[in-house]
Order: sequence, then C-alpha cells, then structure tokens
Amino acid sequence: MLIIGENINASNRRIAEAIRARNSTFLQELALAQSAADYLDVNVGGGKGSTGQEIEDMKWLIDIICKVTDKAIVVDSANPEVIEAGLKQGVSLRAERSNRVAMVNSVNAEKARLEAIGPLVGEYRVDVIALAMDDNGISSRVEERIRACDLILEGLSRYNIPAERVYFDPLVLPIGVDTTQGQVTLKTLEQIKARYPEAKTVVGLSNTSYGLPQRSMINDAFLLMLMYAGLDSVIVNPLHSSTIGSIELGEMLLGKDAHCKKYLKAHRKGLYQEKH
Amino acid sequence: MKETMEETMEEDILALLKENVIQGRRTKDDEGVDGDMVGTPAVLELTQLMVESDIAPEIIIKQGLTAGMQVVGDKFATKEYFIPDMLASAEAVGAAMDILKPILEAADIETKGRFVIATAKGDIHDIGKNIVAILLKGAGYEVKDLGIDVSPEKIVKVVREYKPDFLGISALLTTTMVAMGKTIEALKENGLRDKVKVLVGGAAVSEEYAQEIEADAYCVDGFHAIKVLEDFQKVKT
Repeated sequence: MLIIGENINASNRRIAEAIRARNSTFLQELALAQSAADYLDVNVGGGKGSTGQEIEDMKWLIDIICKVTDKAIVVDSANPEVIEAGLKQGVSLRAERSNRVAMVNSVNAEKARLEAIGPLVGEYRVDVIALAMDDNGISSRVEERIRACDLILEGLSRYNIPAERVYFDPLVLPIGVDTTQGQVTLKTLEQIKARYPEAKTVVGLSNTSYGLPQRSMINDAFLLMLMYAGLDSVIVNPLHSSTIGSIELGEMLLGKDAHCKKYLKAHRKGLYQEKH
Repeated sequence: MKETMEETMEEDILALLKENVIQGRRTKDDEGVDGDMVGTPAVLELTQLMVESDIAPEIIIKQGLTAGMQVVGDKFATKEYFIPDMLASAEAVGAAMDILKPILEAADIETKGRFVIATAKGDIHDIGKNIVAILLKGAGYEVKDLGIDVSPEKIVKVVREYKPDFLGISALLTTTMVAMGKTIEALKENGLRDKVKVLVGGAAVSEEYAQEIEADAYCVDGFHAIKVLEDFQKVKT
C-alpha cells in the first residue's frame, strides 16, 4: 500500500501562515514527521493569493522539503500553472537526487481540466490521481463514476499516458448523510479494478466519517474494506498511528505480509497499544 | 365538556407529534432514536390524522413540527445528536410539510417566505448546502435549490423572476468564496440588492468575509440560518 501523507496542505490555516512567513523549520519538521508515508502531498492553494504567488510558494516549498527528505512529492493544486511550476522544480532538483515529483493531484473528466493537466503528466512522465467525477460534480451513482473514469482514460491516452500511471479515486462521500455511499465507493473501486486491471486506485479517506462520532474508528474500518476491494494507495495523516496500524493489519490479513513481519514490527513499535 | 376533551386530545396529539419529530420517525415503520417504536404512528400518520381532525396547519407546524425541531437543534448543539439524527428529523418534518402545503395554499396562508439556495460558481460541494435546504424546508420555508456551480448571472435571473425573500450561497473553498461577493455585486448592478436578504455560509466563509462583501448574515450551519431568519422576521413585523 502506497501511503500519501496529507499534512502539508495550505487549507490548514497554520500551514498557510507558515508558507507565507517562509517558516522553513516548521514545514521541514512537518515533512520529517510524516515518516510513515511513502509520498508527501504538497498543496499551497488554501489562501487568497495570486497565481504568481502560488507558483513561488510551490517552488519554495518543494525545494525546502527536498532538502530534508528523500520522499517523493505529490504536486497538489487546483491551478494547472502551479502544478507545472511544481513539476519543473522537481526536475531542477533531480540533478542532486532522483526525480522529486512522482505524482500530480489531480485530474478529472472535466474537459478543460483534462486538456490542462494531461499534457503536463505526459511531458513530465509522472503518475496522476484521477477523480471519478465530471463537470456535474460527484455523482452518487456507480455507473456515472465509471463513465467519468472511461472519459479520463480516453483523454489521457491522447497524451500517451498509459493506465498503469493512473491512480483512480472512486471518491468517498459521508455515510452520515447518505448510508448507501459506503457501498457506492466500494463498488466503484471493484469495477475500476475489473475494468482497467493495469490502473491503480487511491482514496482520501476521512470524508467517510464526516458528522459522526468516533471518526478514526470508522475511517480505519472502511480502509480495511477498501483494501479488500483492491485499494493500492491512500491519502491519510501518517501521524495517526491507528491508521498506519490498520494498513499493516490489512496487508497481513490479505496475505501481503510475509511471515507477518510488518505487522509484528508495528506491534513491537507499540502501534496497537493505545487502541486496545 | 366536549370542547375541553377535544382540546386535551389536540394537546396530546401535538405533544406526540413533537416527540416523534425529536425521535426522527417519518413513518410508523421507523424505530426512532431511543429504541423500538415500530408500529406506533409517526410524523406522517399523526399529521394526516390531525388534518382529518381539522386542526389548523399553523398549529401543527408551530406546536408540533417546529417545537420538535427546536429540541433537535439543541441536541445537535450539545453533540447528543449527530448529522444523521438531524437529517432523520428534518426529513420527517419535510414529509409533513408536503401534506400541509396544499392546505396552506388553499387557505391562502403565507409560508414563512421563499428561499433560494445555491453553491457558489466554481464550487461543486453540496453536502452542507443540501442539509441546510432540508432544515429550511422543515422550518416552513419554500426552498428552491439551484444546485452547484451557480453563476452570479443565473442567480440574478432567478431573483428577478422568482422573487425570493432570501438567498443563501454556500462555498467550501477560499478560491470559490469570491463568487459570493461577485453575486452580491451583480445583484446591486441589476437593482435587486434590496429585494432579497443574502445569507452566506460554508467551510471557507467567516463573519468577517460576510461583512466584507456586505452580505446580510453569515450562518455557521442550518440551525443558525433558521435563527437568523427568525430575527429577520422580527425586524419585519
């Protein structure tokens, strides 16, 4: 399971302020603290800043993060120009180490978005997160989400991006608002895996428990179900030990952890103690 | 003697209606928050019964439905109730309003007002907006939902033609929040700003931002919106 750390996101006010103040120590510590993650998502678009400012922020942030960690970066922005700036910055740092940006977050079936992001993903040869939605937003139905995935793959193929570089997000809506949504996400995920066996899958988990008590318990349980349905990657807060513990547990139960080594390692590190 | 008996019955059934709203029971098949109440009449059946007994719809709304929703709002505020509890109650009240609406219209009794609700241009998040719409309908407002990603031009057109008393705009993102200000500007340019009270809300929005764009109110959630609307009504009368 590929773990993408979500903590460096400017929609969080403290992060936005640290970026504005160029507080590199604070942000570098945040990067280092996410040691349980494989990739680090980087988002600078939470403020009211101009495109020019966001581009400068993205370049600076990737630069200071790559100074302290070898982890690959996921460039996350609503603005294609900011994504391009992040990709360029990743290439410029490649001379020192390996290519630093591994993934773009995100594309969807919206025509303008596909035409803006597709060429970038093609040119920089990175992976891309693809949200199963279109111009009309997130459908509450499986068939329409699959239709959006079809459109995305077709659109990306024009830029020679093969399915194995696409991480489909079947999308997670709050169970508390519509109790059918757990099944909708699971079924969409299953169908994506069946329809495009080379493609990968990813989810942002926490939306599922919105408005309900004991959120982390719900998130962790749903994560295990998604893993059974074939989930390849997850965007989470890697500082939540219960989430990381659930991932190790799921991998073991699904036979992906030889001699239960990772599970036992997690146990020895005390990952399960506070839970039970 | 007969009259007092009828009055007692009316009070009893209103109290029962209120309790069923609090329990979030739409029909007799629902079990309710506290446990197994399956089989006993719920909001839909009780409302039907009261209409057949010629109890005035205003009384049903005020002493049964609204009184119940107020308790639900309090329980939500203290975190005893969660979003699904609140939605169950609001849906039950919505079903009762569907029964009462034709009677109110036939008797020419005004609703509390027309409310147009929309998610701001560029924004496709509608979960919060939908919850607010359900709550407002439950509180007796005539709600017209324009959906997601609604342009200022579309809103201006609807305000001009449908003549709502209130307009609610929601935005989850700081990047789409600016469309709220543009909508208010567009209303001004078209001479419609004083025709409608504008309420704004959503994760990105704050009291300060609402003041900056000269909205009439900022609402934290649906229950807050209902309270704000009641305050507007008080000023009006």
